[in-house]
Amino acid sequence: MITMGIDMGAKNIKIVILKDNKVISKSNVLAGFDVTKAGKKAIDKALKGANIKKDDIEKTISTGTGEKLAPFFDDNKSVVGCDSLGAVFLHPATRTVIDVGAEEGRGMRCDETGKILDFEVNEKCAAGAGAFTEAMSRALEVPLEEFGPLSLKATEEIPMNAQCTVFAESEVVTMVHNKVSKANMAKAVHDAMASRISSMVRKIGFNKDVTLIGGVAKNVGFVDSLNKDLELEVIVPKDPEYVGALGAALAASGWKGGK
Amino acid sequence: MNLRKKVNLIKRKGGNNIELIEQFKDWEKNRHDYAKQWKEKSGGKVIGYFCTYVPEEILYAADVLPVRVLGSHEPQDVTEPHIFAMFCPFCRDCLAQGLKNRYKYLDGLMIAQSCLHIRQAYTSWIKHRPVEFEKFLCMPHKVQSPHSYEFLTEELRTFKKEVEDWTGKKITDNDLKKSIEVYNENRRLMKKLYELRKREKPPITGEEAMEIVIAMQMTDKAEHNKKLKELIKKLEKYTPDREVGSRLMILGSEDDDTVFMNMVEKCRATFVIDDHCTGSRYFWNETENGKDPLASIAARYIDRVPCPSKDWEERKRIPHILNLCKEWNVDGVIIMQQKFCDPHELEFVAIQKALKDAGIPTLFLEFDVTVPVGQFKIRVEAFLEMIGEEDLF
Amino acid sequence: MENEAKYPTEKLKCWNKAKEIRLKFYKDYAEAHDNGGLRWAGGAWTFDAIPAGLGDDVFPITSEPYGATIAFDKDLSMECMEAAEKEGYPRDLCSYMRNYWGSIIIDKYPFGYDEKGQFVPRFKGAKSLGFPKPDFIWQDHICCSHAKWYQVVSDLEGGIPMFTVDNAVGPSNELNDSKIKFVVEQLKDGITFLEKATGRDFDDELLYKAIKNHFISTSKWAEICALNKIIPAPLDEKSIYSLYVLGTLQKAGKQVADFYEKDLLPEVQDRVKRGIAAVPNEKFRVMSDTQPPWSFLSIFRYLEKFGCVSIGSLYTFGLIGQWEVKKDGTWGAKTIPDVEFSSRDQALYEYVKYELHKPEWQHFYSCHLKSDMMIRIAKEWKLQGVMLHYNRGCEGLTVGIAENRLALLDAGFPVMAFEGNNADEREFDEGRTKAKINAFMETLGAK
Repeated sequence: MITMGIDMGAKNIKIVILKDNKVISKSNVLAGFDVTKAGKKAIDKALKGANIKKDDIEKTISTGTGEKLAPFFDDNKSVVGCDSLGAVFLHPATRTVIDVGAEEGRGMRCDETGKILDFEVNEKCAAGAGAFTEAMSRALEVPLEEFGPLSLKATEEIPMNAQCTVFAESEVVTMVHNKVSKANMAKAVHDAMASRISSMVRKIGFNKDVTLIGGVAKNVGFVDSLNKDLELEVIVPKDPEYVGALGAALAASGWKGGK
Repeated sequence: MNLRKKVNLIKRKGGNNIELIEQFKDWEKNRHDYAKQWKEKSGGKVIGYFCTYVPEEILYAADVLPVRVLGSHEPQDVTEPHIFAMFCPFCRDCLAQGLKNRYKYLDGLMIAQSCLHIRQAYTSWIKHRPVEFEKFLCMPHKVQSPHSYEFLTEELRTFKKEVEDWTGKKITDNDLKKSIEVYNENRRLMKKLYELRKREKPPITGEEAMEIVIAMQMTDKAEHNKKLKELIKKLEKYTPDREVGSRLMILGSEDDDTVFMNMVEKCRATFVIDDHCTGSRYFWNETENGKDPLASIAARYIDRVPCPSKDWEERKRIPHILNLCKEWNVDGVIIMQQKFCDPHELEFVAIQKALKDAGIPTLFLEFDVTVPVGQFKIRVEAFLEMIGEEDLF
Repeated sequence: MENEAKYPTEKLKCWNKAKEIRLKFYKDYAEAHDNGGLRWAGGAWTFDAIPAGLGDDVFPITSEPYGATIAFDKDLSMECMEAAEKEGYPRDLCSYMRNYWGSIIIDKYPFGYDEKGQFVPRFKGAKSLGFPKPDFIWQDHICCSHAKWYQVVSDLEGGIPMFTVDNAVGPSNELNDSKIKFVVEQLKDGITFLEKATGRDFDDELLYKAIKNHFISTSKWAEICALNKIIPAPLDEKSIYSLYVLGTLQKAGKQVADFYEKDLLPEVQDRVKRGIAAVPNEKFRVMSDTQPPWSFLSIFRYLEKFGCVSIGSLYTFGLIGQWEVKKDGTWGAKTIPDVEFSSRDQALYEYVKYELHKPEWQHFYSCHLKSDMMIRIAKEWKLQGVMLHYNRGCEGLTVGIAENRLALLDAGFPVMAFEGNNADEREFDEGRTKAKINAFMETLGAK
C-alpha cells in the first residue's frame, strides 16, 4: 500500500511517501507565501523521487499549521498525533516526544501505540522555537548551521532570562558589551531555549524514552543544552524534521504502534 | 563564573569599605546557612513567610525564627507547571526556591493575605513541599475600616493558639511584650539609620541600605539589633569619600535587586530613600503600647504604610511618598514596576502624576527576575543628565 | 466528525425574555435620572441588596459584565483599551477594567437609540450615548483589582462618592461570627454612607425584599445548573453564558429572581423530562473554566462538530450560584434560608452568612479548594475532559489554575489548556486554539 503524509509546517512543507510502511521518498520545500503552490511543488518532487504517479497513492493525510491548504488530502490528523505516531515508529520505546520547529515548540506524552495521553504547546513565545536561534545567530553574525557547534565550544555558562525574547535580546547586547565570547553567548542562547522547552515539558511530565524531532533537533548545541536540563539523553532520529509527515503517512496506512 | 558573580566581585572590590556592612551582606547572601546554624544553636523552629503583613512578633514570642522567602534572581524552568507565566516573576522565583529544595530546613510556612500573585507561591509550596505548620492569615484588605482592628485582633487570637499548639509553648502577654520590644527596637534603629541618609553626604549607599534591610528580614532581630547599633555608632561620625551625585528615591512593589542599585549608584547618583515591599515599608511603623498586646500588634499592621493592594479607598501612600521626597531632599524618583504586578500597576499612574505635580521627575522601569543592566544604564544615565541639568537652572 | 443526531433538540423558549431583561438593565441605568432616580456602579460580587434599600428607582451598572459587553463590540473595545493604555495603564491589567475605563475616557456607552428610537447595542446601528456617570460607587473587594478599579474610575470622573466592602474574610469552612461581623459592620457603615451621599432615607423593608430576591436568584440558578448532570445535557455552556449573566448583573433584582425561578427553571426541568438536548449529537461532555474569550464564543459551536458539549464550569455554576453538599453527598443548590427578617442587623447577618459560602470565593484562600470542587463537578456531571482557559485578562479567576490542572490530571481527567484573554481579543489566537481542540478531541477519541 502506498500512502503519503503532508506536513504543512509554518516555514517548511515536508512530504513522506511510504510503500508498505517503508519510506520510498521524501521532500522538503519552503512554504513561502503561496503555500498550496509550494505544497504542489513538494508533492511533485516527492513523486518524482519515488518514481510514481499521484494516482498510485492510495491515501493521503495532511497535518501541520496549514493542513487545510494542502493541494489535496483524504483526511487530516493533528500534528501532535502525527508526531507521536512517527516517533514511536522510529523508536518504539518512545513515551515522550518533543517537537521544536520554526514557530512552535510542542511536548507530548504517548503510549506504546503512539496515542497521545497529554500535550502542551509553547504559546506565543518565540524563545521556545527555531525563530529564536535564527534571530540570535543573525544578531551575533554567525551562520545558522555553525551556531550549534559553536556553542559546544563554550568555556562558561551564562544565565539568560528565558521568559521573553525581547528581554533576552537586551541581555545579548549587554553580553556583547561585556566582551563575552561568541561561543559563550551561543551557549547562553541555546541554554535559554532549552530552558523554555524543558519548562513546557515539565508541565506534562516526561517519561523515558524522550524523542526530539523537528528542524531544531539538528542543532547539536540545543540538544546538548536540553539533555543537561532534563538530565537525560534525548533520542534524535535521522531526518528529525520529517517525523510529522512520516506519522501522517503511517496514519494513512492505518499503522498503530505496539504491533 | 557567571555574570552575576562577576558583578558582585567588582562590587566588593570597589564598593564601600565599612566591614560591618559586610556582615549584613553575608547574612543576606548566605541566608540558608544562617537559618540552619540558628536552628542548630537554638534547637528552635524556623518559619518561612512571604508577606510583610505577617505578624512576626507573635512567632518570635514563641521562640520561632521568621525568615522572609525571597527569590534568587536566576532564570528557572521549574515553576511553569505550577504557576501560569502571566503572574509576577517574583512569586515564581520564590516558588522555585521551594521546589529546588533550598528551604528544606523550614518547619513552617506562612502568608498573610495581600496580593493574589504571591499566594500561589504559598499554595503550590505547601502541596508539593509540605511543612509541619502552614498558615494563611486573613489579613484584612480594608485597613481603612474602623472595624478591621477588632477583626484582625480576633484572627490573631486564633493564630496565637495555633502557634502554641504547634510549638507546644504557651505565649504569655509578657512574651508578646518582650517580642514587641525587640521588633520595635529594630524598627527604631533602622529608621535612625535612614535618618542618617538625609545628610548631604549619606554615610551609606542605597545598595548597602538594601542589603541591611533584606538581612533584617532573614535574621534574629536581637542579633540584627546588636550589629545595627554598632553600625549606626560608626556611621554617625562617618563622611564617605564617594560623590553623591543626584539624590534618588526608588519606589515600587517588591524589589530586592541589588545589582540594579549598584549600577545606578555608579552613575553619579545615590539612593537616599525608598518605598517598597522589601525596603522601608517593612519596618516603618512601630507597635504602640497597649493593654492587649494582640490588639496592639493588630493595630500596627493595620495602620502601617500600606501595600498598594491595601491602599484604598483613600490613597494614603502618595502623601507618604511626597513627604519622604521632601524630608530626604530627593532630586528624582525611579519607579520600579515588578512585571505583571497588578496592585502597583493600578497605582503608579496616580503616583507619577502626583510627583509630576510636585515637580519631581520620575523614571519608570519594568523589572523581571534579572534586569538588562546594559539597557537600563542608558536610560538611567539619560534620566540623571536630565535632572542634573534642571539643578543648574 | 460526529454528525448524526441522537437526541431531539429545541431552542429555549425564554431566550428572548433573557435578552430583554439584559437590554432593559442597560437602558434603566442610562435613563435613571430622567425620572429623578439614581444610578450606581459596582462589581458582580457587590452586596447589591443594600443600594436597593434606597428606593425602587435605583439602577446599577455592573463592572465585569459591562466590560464583557464592550469586549463583544470589537471595534469599540479596541478604542477603549487603546485609550486606557494611552493613560498609562499596562496591558496585563484585567481587561474588563481597561474596557470600562476606556469607555469613560472616550465617553462612549455601547448602547444608544436607533432611528426608530429603540434602545439597542451600538453595533446594531445605534449612535452611542455618552457614558452615564454613576451617582455613587458601591463595591466589594476580594480580588486585588476590585477596589482599585474604582479608585481609578473616581479619578477619571473627577471624584465620585465611593464605598467598598472588604469581603475577603476567609474560606467558608472556617467561617465564624467575627468574620461575619466584620462584613456586617462594614455594610452598616455603608448604609450610613449611602444615606449621606444620596440624601435619601434607607428603607429596611426594601432591603429585606432584595435579600430574599438574592437568595432566590442564587439558589435557583444552581438548581438549573444541577440539571445539567443529566445525559443529554439540556443546556450547553455557550447558552448558559447568556443566562447566567443576568445573575451577574443584578442578583438582588426581582426581575432576575423571577426569571430564574418562574421562567428558566421550569423550562429546563421540562426539557429534562422530555429528554431535550442542547447538542443533539452529544457524545462527549467537558467543562471549561474561567471566563471564556468573549469575542470568540464560536469555539463552543466548534466543539459541537465533534459531538462535544461543555456542560458549564465552576465559573458559570458558582460565580453567582450558591451550592451545598446534600445528604447523599452530591452537590446541589443551596437551601434558601427559612428566615423572617425582623431587624436590619439580623437581615444583614443572614445575608452575609449565606453569601460567604460562594464557591467562586474559596480559591482566593486556596486553589486546592477549587480543585476539589472542579473534580467534583467532573465526576458528578459525568465528564470526559476539561478545557482550561488560561485567561490573561483576569488574575482573580486564573489564580491557581496551573495547580487546578495538575489536580484534575491526577484525578484522571484529560485537560486541555489554552491561553487567551476574556476581554482583549488581541491575545486570543483562534486558529491555534482550534488546532489544539482538534488534537484534544483526538485524545478523547472523537476521531
